[in-house]
Amino acid sequence: MTFFASISRRSALALSATVAMGLGTAALAAPSGTPVKVGGTLALTGPLSATALIHKLVGEIYVEDLNKKNGLLGRPVEWVLKDDQSRPDLARTLYEQIVTVDKVDLLIGPYATANILSAMGVAQRYNKVLIHHTFGIPSLAKYDMHFPTWATGHVPEVTLPNMMFDVLNAGPKPPKTIAIVTSKFPATHFMSVGARDIAKKRGLSEVLYLEWEFGNRDFGPIASRLKEAKPDFIWAGVIALEGMLLLDAMKKIDYPAPQMFHYLPSPGPMLKSPDAKNALAVTIFEQHAPMMSNFGATEFAKTFNERAAKAGLPDTQVDTQAAASFAAWQVLEAAVNGTKSFDDKVLAAWLKKNTVNTIQGPMRFDGPSNYGDDLSKIKQVQNGEWVVIWPRASAKPGVKHLLP
Amino acid sequence: MNKRVLTIFVVSGAALAVLPLLKLPAFYESFLYLVFHWVVLATSWNILSGYSGYFSFGHGAFFGLGMYTTAVLAGKFNWPFLYTLPMAALVPALFGVGLGAVVFRLRRLRGELFGLLTLAVTFVIATIILNTPIDGGPGVYLSAVPIPAIGPSPSATFYLLALAMMMLVLWVAYYIYNARLGSGLFAIHDDEDVAEVQGVPTYRFKLQALAISSAFAGVAGGVHALFVSYVTAGEVFNIVVPLYVVLMSVLGGSRHWLGPAVGATAITALSYAFTAGDSAVVGRAAIGLILIVVILFMPDGILGQLIKRFKSRRALPPLPTPVAPAVISAQGSSGEVLLTIDNVSKSFSGVKALQNVSMEARRGEILGLVGPNGSGKSTMVNVISGLYKPEAGRILFQGEDLVPLPSYRAAHAGIARTYQIPRPFASLSVLENTTLAGMFGGTQLSRADAAAQAMYWLEFVGLADRARALPTELNLHQRKFLELSRALASSPRLVLLDEVLAGLTPSEINNAVTLVREIRRRGSTIIFIEHNMRAVLELCDRLIVLNHGQVIASGMPREVMNDPAVVSAYLGTPHG
Amino acid sequence: MQFPSLELLGQSLLSGLFIGGLYGLLGLGLSLSWGMLRQINLAHFALSFLGAYLTYQLSSSFGVDPLITLVIVAPGFFVFGMAMHWVFARFKVTPFNSLLVTFGLTVIIESFIQWVWTADYRKLESHYADIKFKVGAMYIPLPELLTLLISVGLALVTWAVLRYTPIGKAMRAMAENPKMAAAFGVNEPMLALLLSGAASAFAGVAGACLALSFTLAPSQIYAWIGVVFSAVMIGGLGNPIGPLVAGIVIGMSEAATMAVTAPAWAPLVSFTLLIAVLILRPGKI
Repeated sequence: MTFFASISRRSALALSATVAMGLGTAALAAPSGTPVKVGGTLALTGPLSATALIHKLVGEIYVEDLNKKNGLLGRPVEWVLKDDQSRPDLARTLYEQIVTVDKVDLLIGPYATANILSAMGVAQRYNKVLIHHTFGIPSLAKYDMHFPTWATGHVPEVTLPNMMFDVLNAGPKPPKTIAIVTSKFPATHFMSVGARDIAKKRGLSEVLYLEWEFGNRDFGPIASRLKEAKPDFIWAGVIALEGMLLLDAMKKIDYPAPQMFHYLPSPGPMLKSPDAKNALAVTIFEQHAPMMSNFGATEFAKTFNERAAKAGLPDTQVDTQAAASFAAWQVLEAAVNGTKSFDDKVLAAWLKKNTVNTIQGPMRFDGPSNYGDDLSKIKQVQNGEWVVIWPRASAKPGVKHLLP
Repeated sequence: MNKRVLTIFVVSGAALAVLPLLKLPAFYESFLYLVFHWVVLATSWNILSGYSGYFSFGHGAFFGLGMYTTAVLAGKFNWPFLYTLPMAALVPALFGVGLGAVVFRLRRLRGELFGLLTLAVTFVIATIILNTPIDGGPGVYLSAVPIPAIGPSPSATFYLLALAMMMLVLWVAYYIYNARLGSGLFAIHDDEDVAEVQGVPTYRFKLQALAISSAFAGVAGGVHALFVSYVTAGEVFNIVVPLYVVLMSVLGGSRHWLGPAVGATAITALSYAFTAGDSAVVGRAAIGLILIVVILFMPDGILGQLIKRFKSRRALPPLPTPVAPAVISAQGSSGEVLLTIDNVSKSFSGVKALQNVSMEARRGEILGLVGPNGSGKSTMVNVISGLYKPEAGRILFQGEDLVPLPSYRAAHAGIARTYQIPRPFASLSVLENTTLAGMFGGTQLSRADAAAQAMYWLEFVGLADRARALPTELNLHQRKFLELSRALASSPRLVLLDEVLAGLTPSEINNAVTLVREIRRRGSTIIFIEHNMRAVLELCDRLIVLNHGQVIASGMPREVMNDPAVVSAYLGTPHG
Repeated sequence: MQFPSLELLGQSLLSGLFIGGLYGLLGLGLSLSWGMLRQINLAHFALSFLGAYLTYQLSSSFGVDPLITLVIVAPGFFVFGMAMHWVFARFKVTPFNSLLVTFGLTVIIESFIQWVWTADYRKLESHYADIKFKVGAMYIPLPELLTLLISVGLALVTWAVLRYTPIGKAMRAMAENPKMAAAFGVNEPMLALLLSGAASAFAGVAGACLALSFTLAPSQIYAWIGVVFSAVMIGGLGNPIGPLVAGIVIGMSEAATMAVTAPAWAPLVSFTLLIAVLILRPGKI
């Protein structure tokens, strides 16, 4: 057996680390043999790079961890990661490179809807499974072997607004009037249009509906119009830093936010801003009970907090992005372990029939377009941290839905 | 066209076309698709902006229009993809021509303002598309559109489509570069007013270049729509396309038809060199550094610099053999009226430069036009040659009124002029300057004929040994004679000499006077504007005196000189 | 389209005025170097953001008042500007080549920012942000007011210097005709260095104002290029007041649109206005 000859440097380190630790778990041989290559891109530079860094960290943590234990089916894992510069045309070409030149065994998805679509096209052409973590418009995913780990269910534009209004109605002050303001960024816009629909169906009175172009710098007039409309509740379809800009603008005209839901904000900055007091957002995972009991959560959260701090990220908590990313890797590992295979068709078939235990809870992929349960939860900023308030079963023990 | 270039085109096109048969990994085909795609965008931009100097920041608008045309037709109306491509070319071209038709009419809209306009137009189009059912917000998804099976695989298909577009645009760029359109555009680049007056139909040429440029940008967009398969306004209408085409063209060299292709290849390849995940951020900085270093040390662009180095080593092609032009004929017999200025007035911001001026020039004469500074002599020349349009009056040349016609028609009718302060085309050689006049002037010669005749005229004025020099390398005397040779190269029926003797030494003046006589002998009529009285008296058959924009005397030189009104206006004692 | 209340319209116009002031401030340095030195400095935006990040860092880590950070930032940028021009002069860089060089510089600066501060969003929390004035029904927040005052002040001072002082006149002469000016004793190399330094220092000032009002991210550098270039071009290159006026027109017309109808139409209105002005009155406003 060419054990030492074929050992890669990575696995050599892993091996020595394991020996030095005194072999924590018995009978787990260190991974050996030809590395399993998992390939993907991330938007490491360009406008989407803020969030991509989180995914890079998660991937690194997971792969290191895999290699400390059994690798994948006993072989070490190598993550072939490339920078798609936030551009879908580059993403497409790089995925082609990953598949046809680097000849990876498995794929993992890139960051954000447009780039995932590009990757999906490539995966489709080469009949490879694509597990991805940040796809925002489920109806656009038409590939048979794609598997989303952002567990929003197949029709989030219906289920999420409904959940939101359920939360509000069960809360201290159910709203009668609603204002919907949204960016025209596709993933955000699509949800806002859905929210508008559901609001109407549930008998809420729409006092304002505004759309702005993605890239707008001046939120003063929008804030003024909100103030004038005096809604009980604001649904803000904001992406990237638009949420912060809107809150700033509202503060400047002395308009404290009423009950307000942000779709796709950047969670970290909202904690630091006093204007975001008691703002609501959607999440699938937060770093508190009971979610911390989910599979892999505790250890991962600790490692992620450390590594994020070291990487200089201002926000080191695990939330939806990191959790979805971690879940993607978990799903990948589970499928491989479940089938003892790297064959994409076999993996796909297995995933459609089995439930995988992940950091987000149990995930299944047997619904329309391989979507499963909607694992979304509603969270709120309370005292400088995000806490889940709905569904009750997932809420942080002891918290209540607060009014701003 | 050059046989050798044609062969290279055909051979390289064929060689590249069989690449898919090599069954290389799809990545290479997609990578080359992106390279070709940018070559098309950069080269098409250069056809207008590099050649003519009309710097457009709106290439993204045409690209986006093309992309959305295909997206909507194929994605929403289920047109077969290939049928959308002609539309993807046509829609932006129509739009570009419409825009140009308005914008190019504005004299003062040069340089940065054209850039601004095209940038503003991009934002306008983007907003309209985003807010109407064309897109409306969610983007257009093309996954259901079948990819035509032109190649053995989808990536091969895109590769071949891009290859076809690229070969076509390069051919067009090359063709234009060597054709009248290209020469005209390069002349416009250096001095649009002079080009117009020399007979270049500037308005038409700019529109043609814009139409071609935008059509190619559009069709590139159309193909790209299916390549990315998800078209959103934010992805399409950002600063990337307008900025990158400029960078690529400048990097490669925007004065050459192949320059942008070199730049596009370099920058696209560079973007790929640093895609490894670990070094993404550092890699990007490295790209910036490389760009800086390259352009600092290769200011003419990569290709421009290489050509410069090659040129100095290779032997120069021989100069054309001089061919004497035919003797100039004009309608009517000697003494008949050739040019009638009928009650012409011209003002500038309230200052009346010409007031109801009437005069005539007779065939075969040397007519002197004199007057104190500011009397309107140069304005008169500018009005006759078409540079300015008068507010009132007619200018009848050989019976035809030039005023309502576009300015370049004056040159076509057979009028040529020199400029008091020489205005040669700075990037063109002495020979090219003179050749251009023959190409676009009244005789409308082919380039070869015009060059041969240009050599004749250069010999005539004594500049034959400086044929390859650039105007900056000439002294004032030589530049004035270059003006002269340009004016003569179109075998004009009427030559307007605007202070051709100013700044010359006495012996140079004698030389010039001899030349002027010779010009008349060959059949041209001359209007001679001068301050040098000795020359005026020697040469002119008749004299017209202007003062404050009005004719105050006309007739035989000696009589006019002694006219008290004229004397009191300005005539000092004649120079010896 | 519902007609807004006067208060709404007024507040919106005010908002547009403030952001227009920032466009003008960003455009000031760009206009000077483009109009007077024939250098199209794309890196001006990256430099402004670098200044913003430096202001953010100095303020957050050392508690320095954001405006006081300019004491360090502005001179530093001045030197940088001089160095940049020195390179341009040494290599005789043409205007269009300068676009390429400064693009490369932009990429380098952006990468540097991302490397130091990551791509995540940074917001300066300063006491300025809490202060606002109320005039009638109108709110005037202090950071925005400061930006506007600084913008107007700098533009006026620059205009006055260029118009009335000997050094300003020398600079204008140099911009119009360097050879002629040199013949009259104008020290073109030195003046050019000073001008370039000043333009970059202005970028630093703009950066501090950005930090006061906006959340920062490296990719945001590109979000301002289009609109500020437009303001600079329509305001007239080399004209210090031009970008300010043009920027305010753009900002206010967009704000008015957003107050009155669907905000997504705002760019259409401002840029159509720009196009109309250009076509009907090409040249300066």
